[in-house]
Amino acid sequence: MNQFSNLKEDFPIFQRDINGKKLTYLDSGATSQKPDSVIEKMNQVYKFTNANVHRGTYVLSAETTQEYEDVRNKCKSFLNASESDEIIFTKGTTEALNFLANAIANKFMTKGDEIILSEIEHHANIIPWQMVAEKFGLKINYVKINKDFSLDLDDLKSKLSKKTKVVSIVGESNLSGMLPDIKEINDIVKNNSEALLIIDGAQLVPHRKVDVKELGIDFLVFSGHKMLGPTGIGVVWGKKDLLDSLDPVYGGGDMIEEVHYDRATWAPVPHKFEAGTPPYVEAIGLGAAIDYLENLGMTEVEKHSDELREYGRQTLLDIDGVNVIHSQQEIAGCTFGMYVDGVHASDLSLMLDTHGVAVRAGHHCVQPFHRKLGIDATIRSTAYIYNDKEDIDTLKSALVSSIEMLR
Amino acid sequence: MSIREKVDEYKQVFDIFPNDQEKYQYLIEKAKENDSFPVELRQDNFKVNGCQSQVWLVPEEKDEKLYFNSDSDALISKGLVTLIASIYSNEKAEDIVSSEIDLMEEFELGVILSPARRNGAYSMLKTIKEYAKNLIS
Repeated sequence: MNQFSNLKEDFPIFQRDINGKKLTYLDSGATSQKPDSVIEKMNQVYKFTNANVHRGTYVLSAETTQEYEDVRNKCKSFLNASESDEIIFTKGTTEALNFLANAIANKFMTKGDEIILSEIEHHANIIPWQMVAEKFGLKINYVKINKDFSLDLDDLKSKLSKKTKVVSIVGESNLSGMLPDIKEINDIVKNNSEALLIIDGAQLVPHRKVDVKELGIDFLVFSGHKMLGPTGIGVVWGKKDLLDSLDPVYGGGDMIEEVHYDRATWAPVPHKFEAGTPPYVEAIGLGAAIDYLENLGMTEVEKHSDELREYGRQTLLDIDGVNVIHSQQEIAGCTFGMYVDGVHASDLSLMLDTHGVAVRAGHHCVQPFHRKLGIDATIRSTAYIYNDKEDIDTLKSALVSSIEMLR
Repeated sequence: MSIREKVDEYKQVFDIFPNDQEKYQYLIEKAKENDSFPVELRQDNFKVNGCQSQVWLVPEEKDEKLYFNSDSDALISKGLVTLIASIYSNEKAEDIVSSEIDLMEEFELGVILSPARRNGAYSMLKTIKEYAKNLIS
């Protein structure tokens, strides 16, 4: 018994039966479930303190503004950032990456400049760059992967040049669980170019302690909903001097200093990047999610993830007929992509659903990665803090019986 | 047998199954029985859009009646398209177009099949009706 043993009790969704079976939720890579504390916190705001932030000089607005800005501070501590002004709220990782792609290209890039991504990036870390590349005449290079699904860092080094202005890399693969050595990547990028380094932390931040100062990177983005928080809230962390130098991408209320009919000046960071009414209730929900995770302790969250990954490796790697896409490095996330020769991923996930097992089927927004591996679709199991070894056992037995039925 | 009678017959079959697993199993068996689809007909112009898996429906007209040959790369989809094709095969184009049976409501497939699949089933039905409409016009 440890503090993770009865965690499902904090998550109302686990009271549900699915197809008459206990819910085995293994799709937290798509979105995590929410504890009572997060749901209740948001309810409390709507019921008792709701008012727009940064606007009114009255009690409700002051209280809500305080709570919203407190979350910025929580994010700062959670990431060990230097100051809370380095935290920009967005609606999620996708918006965060679109914002960075546009802001950086607008400010720092001209025709012929280069962007480096990797072959395993989520579509959210490909398409925004393709869009700005098209607009500004930029070139995108993709870092190759090795046979064990790790990034080929020699290839990264060889692709870096004076022309490289941005390197944007996934912090944890959403298909194989591979954890790149971010510090090493940062050293390679900084020693061989003047490029900015962005880490897509959508899968990383929920599972592992991230210290932005220690990593030395320039930007980190992540979503609230994959780490117990609500949908509609995400974060860009950036080094203060870089954020100061970027111009806003979105214009509107709350991001200005002065507005005239023919011009406007911007508020200081972070507000110049948060045009309009921000998702403040969602941000406050994210604050409650961070409280929940910090209460467990991110070191303990990491340990739990490592335990589940090891158990997953023991349990899932030798199922007859199941091909597993999973990092072969010692440390990785508890994420397992799987496919069965001759069995369609959607059939498999439908059959697993009849056992109450929820996994994702498809290309998981990493279509180029699937194409690279020569497969159409996979099912993917991603575990989180509320999962236990029993869930992995249930997945295994459901897989065995489903495959038998589908062959 | 009319479209209505065929639907009622399948309804009785589905009613026997106590849970989704057995309904899927029935669709899988239907899929496995359907081995008459020539691989060379897996062409883009016969593909049904809006399905999670790849689904093909090929119409054929014989003695003023329509017949549908079907296939999918996923078994449960294949079972579903096989079932839908059998309901609308051996029918006159006019009867197919005028039939207002909501298959999803009848079979409660909205419950056993996910929303994406429900769209898939609707797309299959839409394709069949379009083939029939084109034949009349």
